[in-house]
Amino acid sequence: MQLKRLTIYGYGKFHDRTFDLTPGLNVLVGPNEAGKSTITQFITAILFGFPTKKHPELRYEPLDGSQFGGEMVLCQAGVDYLVRRVDGPKGGKVTLTNLTTDSPLPPENLNRLLAPVDEQLFSQVYSINEPRLSEVFAASKQVMVERLRHVGAVGSDYWLQQAAQQEKAAEALYKPLGRNPRLNQQLREHAELSAKLAKANAAYDTYWSLLQERQSLLQRQKQQRVKLDQQRQVSEQLAHLASLWPTFDQWQRLQKTTVQPTSGFGQTDLTELERLTGQVKAATTGNATLQHSLEKAQVQADLPANFQQYVTVATRADPLLAQLPQQRQLVTAHEQLRQTQQGLQQRMAVIEQQVANADGTMPRSFPLSVAHDVTRWQAELVKATQKRRRLQQELNQLNEQFRQVQPTSRKRTNPLADKQVGWLAAGLIILVGAMLLPAAPFKLAGALLGMAIGYYGVFIVDSATPASRQLQGITDDIRDTQAQLREGGQRIDQLTSQLDEIGSTYGLDNLPVEQWDAAQAAIHEWDQLTEQLETVTDQLTTGTDQQMAFQQSVGTLFPDLIHRPTAAVLDELTAIDQTRHQLSTRDDELTSLMNQLKQSQTALQAAERDQQVFLQTRNVRSPQAFYERYEANREFHNQQVQQMALAHQLGTAAITQLQHYQSQTSLQTAVQAAQTELQGAQQALDASTSQLATIAGQLDHLTASGTQSTLRQKLANLEAQMQVNAQSWLVHQLVSQWIKATLAAASGDRLPQILQRASVFYGKLTSNRYTEISLTESDLRVRLATGEWRQVSQLSRGTAEQLDLAVKLAFAVVMNERVQMPLVIDDGLVNFDAQRRQAAIQVLIDLSDQLQILLLTADEPAIRSVSGNIIRLMD
Amino acid sequence: MKFIHAADLHLDSPFLGLTNLPNTVLSTVRQATFTAATKVFDRALTDQVDFVLLAGDLFDRAEQSVAAQAYLFHQFERLNQAKIPVIISFGNHDFAADQHQSVAYPDNVTILGAMGTTKTLTLQSGETVAVSGFSYPERWVTQDPVATFPDRSAADWQIGLLHGALATGSDDHYAPFKLSELLAKRYDYWALGHIHHRQLLNEQPPVLYAGNTQGRSVNETGVKGAYLVSSQAGKLVPSFFPTSAVLWENLTVVFDHVTDLKALGLALTTWLEAHVTSQLTLTALTVTLAQPLDAVELAQITSGDWLSLYLRTHQRYLVAANRTLIKLQVSQAATKITAPQIDQQYWERGQAQVFESANERATFGKLLQDTSLAEWFMQPTTTVQLKQQAEQELTKLMGGEDNHAT
Repeated sequence: MQLKRLTIYGYGKFHDRTFDLTPGLNVLVGPNEAGKSTITQFITAILFGFPTKKHPELRYEPLDGSQFGGEMVLCQAGVDYLVRRVDGPKGGKVTLTNLTTDSPLPPENLNRLLAPVDEQLFSQVYSINEPRLSEVFAASKQVMVERLRHVGAVGSDYWLQQAAQQEKAAEALYKPLGRNPRLNQQLREHAELSAKLAKANAAYDTYWSLLQERQSLLQRQKQQRVKLDQQRQVSEQLAHLASLWPTFDQWQRLQKTTVQPTSGFGQTDLTELERLTGQVKAATTGNATLQHSLEKAQVQADLPANFQQYVTVATRADPLLAQLPQQRQLVTAHEQLRQTQQGLQQRMAVIEQQVANADGTMPRSFPLSVAHDVTRWQAELVKATQKRRRLQQELNQLNEQFRQVQPTSRKRTNPLADKQVGWLAAGLIILVGAMLLPAAPFKLAGALLGMAIGYYGVFIVDSATPASRQLQGITDDIRDTQAQLREGGQRIDQLTSQLDEIGSTYGLDNLPVEQWDAAQAAIHEWDQLTEQLETVTDQLTTGTDQQMAFQQSVGTLFPDLIHRPTAAVLDELTAIDQTRHQLSTRDDELTSLMNQLKQSQTALQAAERDQQVFLQTRNVRSPQAFYERYEANREFHNQQVQQMALAHQLGTAAITQLQHYQSQTSLQTAVQAAQTELQGAQQALDASTSQLATIAGQLDHLTASGTQSTLRQKLANLEAQMQVNAQSWLVHQLVSQWIKATLAAASGDRLPQILQRASVFYGKLTSNRYTEISLTESDLRVRLATGEWRQVSQLSRGTAEQLDLAVKLAFAVVMNERVQMPLVIDDGLVNFDAQRRQAAIQVLIDLSDQLQILLLTADEPAIRSVSGNIIRLMD
Repeated sequence: MKFIHAADLHLDSPFLGLTNLPNTVLSTVRQATFTAATKVFDRALTDQVDFVLLAGDLFDRAEQSVAAQAYLFHQFERLNQAKIPVIISFGNHDFAADQHQSVAYPDNVTILGAMGTTKTLTLQSGETVAVSGFSYPERWVTQDPVATFPDRSAADWQIGLLHGALATGSDDHYAPFKLSELLAKRYDYWALGHIHHRQLLNEQPPVLYAGNTQGRSVNETGVKGAYLVSSQAGKLVPSFFPTSAVLWENLTVVFDHVTDLKALGLALTTWLEAHVTSQLTLTALTVTLAQPLDAVELAQITSGDWLSLYLRTHQRYLVAANRTLIKLQVSQAATKITAPQIDQQYWERGQAQVFESANERATFGKLLQDTSLAEWFMQPTTTVQLKQQAEQELTKLMGGEDNHAT
């Protein structure tokens, strides 16, 4: 493609400017701000569109308000086209005209005309300025290859597009990390289905375990049936036994309650008893008849009232009658004893009157020793009393002597006279007091004492009044006598108290000691009387008892006589006795009657005795008891019969079984238990049956569900679909790869050419300092003429820019076979030194026969030698 | 004396490679393995055979199908009622893992256990039959089992029951044996299983693969069945009877005048009306066209979209013909790839670089992790198909290229 003319309507600083361009090198010269960059930008904008309004600084809208845009004439494959672009949407309004045929073309065709060069490639390769030169340092093989691929084949844009579409189509089917593409969905569905199937497969184990369970259940059911049958039999047997229980119970009770029958109560025994009873009855009747006859006979015979009674009890009454004389004697003896008793009692009363104490108690007799002591003590007392009396006389004499001897002593004894009166008075009081004492000895002793005191007071006290030696002698005698007197008094007191003690011990307090002997004799007699009285009383009591017993015996036989006095009873009995005697001697009807009665009585007694013997041998008390026993015996036999009947009814087997049970309750319990067990067995069987039904249901369900098969078929179908999709996806992917591989192959061939060319250019630009450019996977490097390699990063700025220029030029030259695109170099050589700039310009001049080159520069001197289309922008 | 020899029932295993199956067909297909097996057992009952031999792969243990087990229990019980013994040697798919042995099949079923097992039957006629064989203890049996079979016994008839494949010399996993070894045993009959195509390895005594009773993928085409074997003049003569409920078919038809899809649809319908089958048939159809289809239309065929649409809209005809199309391929004259703007040599270089197994594998990438996709990918036909389809696709794109320039 060659640019022929640029017409600017309004763009940046330019308006209504036209630049005619020639093939080969065109140099546009102008100082800064002459519009070099504006023209570069204009070319890009017309070809590829205005930048958006978001970047107004890149739009270069005209400053003077003229129409924004312009037009460009370009020649492609020998055909001239006019491209007009003015302000409009989407990069501006384009008008495309085929100038050769003068026919308008659709604006879209502009891109096809330019293809494969697009804005990016154009700005990266064909539009060269200083900043762009420096930004390509990062170039790696990948970038280079991409760029090459971009322009490497004509029409590659289409194929790249197709490759992209294939990839898109593939992505619609499957993305390795996607969710929504069809195959992704199917894979997910596959996973879900697989999981479901795995779950459904669990049914397989369930199925087998159900089968196993069913097998064991069937086994168990069989056993349970057998058990149930057995249990039913047991239960029925027990129920039958239970129904037999009342019978059995009766049987058992009969067996248990029956006492062993005793002999002697049989039918023959009964007959015997009845015979005996008949005898007794007949005898009794005979007796009664006889008695009646006898009564009548007695009335006729005027017998004593009680005789009739006697006759009935004659045998028993006779011994009593025999006792009659003895009884009479007893009565007499009794009377005598009573008189003796009275005599004794009278005598005792006399004695008691004499001796008895005030309270009526009798003193007791002394033992012998005490009697001796008393006698002795009494004798001593008498002696002592006599002695005292003698001493008293002596004292009196002495006192008299003393009075005579000591008349003067009166004065002095005057006070004593008072004393004498006192003593006298005291003696009188004691005397009088003694008289009040109960016992005579006491009274005596008291009187003596009183007198003694009085005496003492009158005489002795007085005699004590000494006046002289004589007097003293008398006084001493008096004193001596008094002492003896006192001694004697003490002895008397002692004896008296001993006697008193004895008296109180034997209850003789009331008697003076002198009477004690006499009293003792009386007491002794009283004691003897007492004993005699007791004997008599005993005899009386015995007699009375005998009488009473007799009378009682009589009373039982003759009730009439019970309350009669003994004498009367005896008289009656005597009368009966006499009558008997009289009768025994008479031989008349009455006697015979009586004899008959006696005989009858005897017969009755014999009969009764026989009966008694009969009963006694059977150890029963009365016929009634016999009858009871007899009845019991008979009952026993009945029961035996009944029992046998029951045993027959029950049968021995049932009885044996029933005997295992203590009671109906225990049998009932057993029945209950058996029934419970039966129910249990039935329930177990039912449970098994229902379990089997459940299992059968479950098995049916498992078998019929078809879930597994359905899922498996679904899965198989899904897998088939997945394979189809995977295939499509893979085809798309491979086709995309194929296109790219083909493009790479087509463009890849040019890379070595480009590098070779670039090496040549670079050598020229650097005066052969660098001889080779090499492109590795990751970077670009250059080789010095010395053979060393340098990384791009090791190059100076200018040298690096020269490397880039060399590569771009080489690219443009090599690609020129397919893509003719003008090179627009906008002040790209500013960092070059003069020599290299010249070298660069020379290279451009050399290339100008192959390429259209637009060199925009401010460096006038550098282009002086350049021949070609020179346009001065400032003109 | 007569018996049935069947093998490879593969009960309840899915049909493979079905993408557009209508629901009306689906249930028939799902029941097909059972229907086929039932025909075997029905035949045993109606013909009152003396016994039934099943030479392995009755079911796929890996699939753990309840339906298969329940079915077998039921059928074996039917035979049990009729007092027909069943002798089984389990194969590589139903290998005799020791699980679930506590629940046994009915008493009439004998499962041959370890190698060298012989089951002797006494028939009602008084004849004795010795059946020797074994069950796979696990998925693979790599040793030649024939040596473990006993020599011919005194029984009236001696039969070998063997699930295995002829030895190839390498990678033999399925009880590899040699025909000469079998013949050397001088048995009266060898009932073989494992190979799904029935085939007679030896005429007399018969050494015979019964084939499977029901085909399950387009690779198992044709009528499938089992053999009723009867004694005739001291020899055992097998006679085939069909059992398959669904037929698979690979067909190529030539439609000379078809140039576009519309015409193809009409031609296909006409063909269907003319080719009514007696049994449900799953057909993989290859259509040969005299003139190539437009690339875009061809792409519709290739993607399966057109067939899918056709099946939906023409169900009536399919039902009437008792047939369904499971696959449609168009075979047309190859078109040369010419891209005017890029040298042919670059296309060829690119193709060689891309359609190379390492690159294909790398591109397929993570999808290889999916078992079923990996299985498909590994098939040798896959790479051929990929190349063909890519060429078709590219041809279509090259048509577009022409329009691109001025």
